[in-house]
Amino acid sequence: MTSLKATAAALALLVALPGVANAQSTSDDATVDVSGTVAGLCILGDPSRTSVPLGQLINTSGPQVGKLTAISAQTINLPNSFCNFAGTNLRVSAQALLSSDTNAVQTGFARAVNFTSTVSNWATQNATVTTAAAAGGATPSAQGTGGTQPAPKIADLTLTLNGFTVPSNLLLVAGTYSGSVTITLGPAATP
Amino acid sequence: MRLLAASLTALAALALPGTAMAQSTTATAGPFPVTGNVPGLCSGGTLSNANSSFALGVLIDTATGLRRTDLAAPPKILTGAFCTVRSNISISATALQSVNNIAAPGAGFSRTVHYTASASGWTTTPATFATGSASNPGSSQERSTAFQGDISVGIGSFSTGGGEGLRLVADTAYQGIVTVTLAVAN
Repeated sequence: MTSLKATAAALALLVALPGVANAQSTSDDATVDVSGTVAGLCILGDPSRTSVPLGQLINTSGPQVGKLTAISAQTINLPNSFCNFAGTNLRVSAQALLSSDTNAVQTGFARAVNFTSTVSNWATQNATVTTAAAAGGATPSAQGTGGTQPAPKIADLTLTLNGFTVPSNLLLVAGTYSGSVTITLGPAATP
Repeated sequence: MRLLAASLTALAALALPGTAMAQSTTATAGPFPVTGNVPGLCSGGTLSNANSSFALGVLIDTATGLRRTDLAAPPKILTGAFCTVRSNISISATALQSVNNIAAPGAGFSRTVHYTASASGWTTTPATFATGSASNPGSSQERSTAFQGDISVGIGSFSTGGGEGLRLVADTAYQGIVTVTLAVAN
């Protein structure tokens, strides 16, 4: 009986061994990481228009003749603007409208038209700036910064120009007038 | 294979910080031009004293029937006149003439009083117009800059049409007109 049992065990081992031998020769494992990067990116959408022609700027009759006429708010939309990372803000810089006639202005006249530029729908605080050019055209540039957007965001931005004024509501000298507005979307400056 | 996997992971770990720094891109839109224009424009302002008449009163010396030699009237002020560009100021006038009695006056009489009108304050040299003169080259003056100011319009240097020895025909109204024009200079 003892011998028989030993024989039976030996047979079972023989049966099992081929199977073990096979598994050891065909299996191995290895890990290959797949990695990549996404660049931080801010894009401002195509503007709905590329210029803001205001036309004739003064009243030609009435008690305000020769002075700035009422100018309605002007808007430029920038749809699908986005940043794919957090901590971004808008900056807006503006140049007041100045007359092409650079001669010194006479008493009672101005050659500058100031206005407010606001870019909305990015952060809680809009980016806004109001130019403060002097009657003679000095200091036409101004910059403003909006609040920080704490998350990646895609949105339709709106640039609004309004609040057109002339220093002391003086008479405007004749000529062509030009100014500009530039919008920048990017990482907020590190404190 | 394990060695290869470890190497790739290490490379990725090294690359990520540098990539993160370069990711901070900025977008700019504009500059959007904002434009307008102001045309050359002149305004004559507002006439002072709420009326536009030089009231001279009785024109003759009732003792002689001849024109008074002390005719005078305060100037009229055009307040707040302006031009937004280089401009010309010009003045013209018509002689005082009897309004109702328009028949040709008889010998020794006249129905005309001449005078000189002037507009000052706009240009260094006032614009002047003498109704009795055949030509008035000084009636138009140019100012090279935009200007805002008051214009004083006056009349003076009266004379009797036809000669100082003529007497004026009677009429309840003698009338002339002074016209001041501000215009954009070409």
